Formats: sequence, structure tokens, C-alpha cells
Amino acid sequence: MEKLVSGKIKKSKDRHAPEVSLQTGFPSAATHYHEASIDLHNELIYNQDATFFIRVEGNSWNKFNVRHNDVLIIDRSAKLKQNRLALVVQDGEFDVIRFSENQAKSEFLLWGVVTYIIKDVL
Amino acid sequence: MIAMVDCNSFYASCEQVFRPDLWGKPVVVLSNNDGCIIAANKEAKSLAHIPMFEPVFKIKETLLKNNVTLFSSNYTLYGEMSQRVMNILKTFSPLVEVYSIDESFVELSGLEHINLNDYGKEIKDKIFRYTGLPVGVGIAPTKVLAKLANRIAKKEAEYGHVCVIETDETRIKALKNAKIEDIWGIGKQQAKLLKENKIYTAYDFTEKTPVSWVRKEMTVVGERLWRELRGESCIEFTTIPEPKKGIGTAKSFGKRLEDLDMIEEACAYYVSEVSEVLRAQKSCASYIQVFVHTNYHSKFDRQYSQSSTVTLAIPTNNTFILVTEAKKALHRIYKKGYRYKKVGVNLSGIIPQEYVQGNLFEEPPKILNPALMKIFDTINNKYGKSTLASATTGTRKEKWELIKKQRSPRYTTQWQELLKISGPY
Repeated sequence: MEKLVSGKIKKSKDRHAPEVSLQTGFPSAATHYHEASIDLHNELIYNQDATFFIRVEGNSWNKFNVRHNDVLIIDRSAKLKQNRLALVVQDGEFDVIRFSENQAKSEFLLWGVVTYIIKDVL
Repeated sequence: MIAMVDCNSFYASCEQVFRPDLWGKPVVVLSNNDGCIIAANKEAKSLAHIPMFEPVFKIKETLLKNNVTLFSSNYTLYGEMSQRVMNILKTFSPLVEVYSIDESFVELSGLEHINLNDYGKEIKDKIFRYTGLPVGVGIAPTKVLAKLANRIAKKEAEYGHVCVIETDETRIKALKNAKIEDIWGIGKQQAKLLKENKIYTAYDFTEKTPVSWVRKEMTVVGERLWRELRGESCIEFTTIPEPKKGIGTAKSFGKRLEDLDMIEEACAYYVSEVSEVLRAQKSCASYIQVFVHTNYHSKFDRQYSQSSTVTLAIPTNNTFILVTEAKKALHRIYKKGYRYKKVGVNLSGIIPQEYVQGNLFEEPPKILNPALMKIFDTINNKYGKSTLASATTGTRKEKWELIKKQRSPRYTTQWQELLKISGPY
């Protein structure tokens, strides 16, 4: 069988809520301060329906600090602005560029804008 | 007003989003067992000799000669991309009816004061920008007219993929140009009947045919079409899908099977699939039917087909119970010495899981732990289908499974299958 290399099963959502101690019945002091834990999907993704994850192979884009095995979060709905990293298509091939305003847009077809670079540093 | 939005050669387009090297090139998608072509983009269609639903082996030569790229169907990807499109549509109107994987009706009432052509363009552009999928938009006062408008938007280049039928003038013009057999809801038999009565276009149908005749010859269904084409809305929006009354699956084997063990594994696999559907819609099945048959088309094989239905003591959605029962049913109908082509499973008597009643004469099975099934589904969602399965399912899937050689990665649902890009060095 193929070895699974990544990912963990998420625990079910019903985690302990700091409301009433089962032993003593006393309400916790934290009761009114309870908030949901951080969810990266909410933080890193602006527009889920336009977002794609894409893995980088090779070192063609080292100059942008985009390296082998990094995962790019690409938002197709984000605006292409000065200095943003973009995934573009040129002659039927993907390329990552840093956009500058005085560059003619006709040189490439925009696929999406890079919003985050996920790196495995272990 | 109602918009009909549909994706252009949807399956092929989904594949092309992630393959810029194939932009502007012919692409076809094959059916489940790679047997025939189920989708082709316009470049592939322009090669003209690609008949839809034709066994692919007959035209493989032609395809290869024309550099057509073939894909096995990747329904995981198509389903996820379709979801994105539907979500985007919901930003345009609260009322969206998903009609099929690549078509939706969007209710636009209350927006009559705005320029609907611009609105349609906005829908089209937003979907393309967000997902990379090209769509066509037809806007009209009724569903049948919206479908017709959509057809025009697709066929006539000057519309730029958006067509609005708003005034009576545009409606009449569209009807005059529409062949009767191209109208949504007109079947082959009906088209024949209509042509025999000298009704060739949608215009002949609505303006020259009295409603009494339509009702008499084509029942109330035909009358509804007639009214819809005249701009009178009679087909309602259905936004909540009805829970399925029966769930089934059956696929041909990659090759003929004679061995009971192997058929049993395939059968158990299908049971796992359908019981997952049951749990996803929070319902239970009361009956399970299993059927097998040989290849009807073969002149050399002896033919056999049989089915067996089991009434479950207590309606259930538990994979293990269903697999056990299906196995019993299969053993009853299996006969040695035949070369089987297909095994299938149907669940019926589907009821919401909270309505399940116990059986006075039966001990509730111990295995009925819903937590087990829940973790089962969680793990399988995460690591892919049948990571966990009943042991009956076995491990020899590649022996009976339909060949899936050319399936593209599941780019949007599996972390291990993300789109990979690499530059020049």
C-alpha cells in the first residue's frame, strides 16, 4: 500500500468549551471570553471560489524566494498591482513574474496573483 | 427575468484550466470505462469526424493523427469546479437552481431596470476570471426561452456569449430561427409528430398552433412549453434538491469476470459508495438490490442475468450491514460458468435517518455505532476513497476496475495531487 506522506486527520469539532466545570459545577472565568481558534483557511484565503493551490518544482524562481516544493496560494480574483507576484502563461507555459506597471500586459496571460507562499521548513 | 448559465464543453474546459499547453487545442473526455467520448471542446468538434458517444477504439487513429488529447473522466475535479461556479452565481441572485453539473438557472426578478445584457456579461466575466471556465448566458422571461437564448449565445458569435430575449420583437425573431427539435423539452417523437403537422420552427409552434391542439396531442407538458415560449412563465424554480428516493451504481468491469470472489469485491465496493451517499444525505435504506449480467452484445458467451432484493430488518446506512446483506444476495444469484460484465447495487425505500424504527423481533446489531461510520467517512474524505473499507472490498480493485489511465490529477481536492509548475531550470 502506498505510504501517506502528509496530512493529519482533524479531530472532531466539539472541543472542550470552558463553560462549566464538570467536577465542581462552577462556571469558568473564561466563559465570556471564549473565541473560535484560528483557522488558516479563513485567514489566508480571501476568495475561496477563485483560489487554487499550486506546487512549485525546481529552482527557476529562487529570485522571488519561491523555491522547490513550495506551495503557492493563487487568487485569480486579486488585482495585479505593482510588485505583486503573478502566475502567468506565456506560449502555453506557466511562469512566475514580479509585475511592474510599465510592463506591457500583452506579453502574457494572467492566470492568477500569488497571495501567499507556503514553505515546509522542517 | 431568468438567466440560464452554462459552461462551454465543461469537462474539457475543466481539464484545460490547468493545462495552458492545451489552450486552443482539441481535447476530449472519455466516459467512465474509457469506452466512449462524452465531451469534446470546440477545437475537437471542428475536426468534424468525432461522433459523440461513439466507442473510442473506432476512432482512436483519427484522434491520434489530429493530436487530440484524451482524458479519462475526473468527476472529482469537475464536481469541485462546478461548485465554484454555482457559488459565484449565488453572488448575483439569491435564487439559483442547479440544473446539472454545468447548467444553472438564475432568477433575476427585480432587476428589470438594469441593462440585462451588461449583467449577463458581468456574470460571464466573473466566472471566467475566478475559475478560468468559459460560460454562455441566456436571459429571458421564462426558463424555456432562457434556454433558447443560451443556445443562441453559444451558436452565434456576434452575441459574445450573452443573449437577452426581452422584447416581443427579439422573442419572435429567436422563435423564427429556432428549429422545433432544438427546443428544450421537445423529444424525438414529439419533434416527428410536429413536423408531420408542418410545424418546423418554434414560431410555427407558438404562433400558428392553437393551444387546444397542443394540449390534446402533447398533454399539459406540451402546453407548458407552448406558454413558456410565448413568454408566460409556468415552470417553477426548484432550489432544494429532493432527497434521492433510490440510489444505485453499476459499472462494467474492465474485463469479463467469472470468479465469485472478484465480483464480490466489486459489489462490496459499490455498496460502500452508495452507503456513503446515504450518510451524506442523512438517510437510511430499507431495501438493497443486487444484480449481475453477462455481456448482451457478445455472440459467443452464454447469457445470464439475475437480480435479488433483500429487505433489511432495520433500515440502515451502515456500510458493514449493507455489505453483508449484498453479499448474501449476490451468492443467491451468482452462477458458475458465466463471464460476467457487470454487477450493480440499488438501494431503495430511502427514509430520513431520524425516522428509522427499531424491529420488535430483532436485536439491534452491535455494529450500528454511528461514530464508527462518521470516522470512516472523515478518513476517506481526507485520504481518498476506500482508504478504509470493509474487508470484503478486497485489494484487487485494479483487476476489475475500469481502466483509468488518462485521468488528470485531482488538483483542487487532494494535497498530493496539486498542479505542479516548474520553470525553465
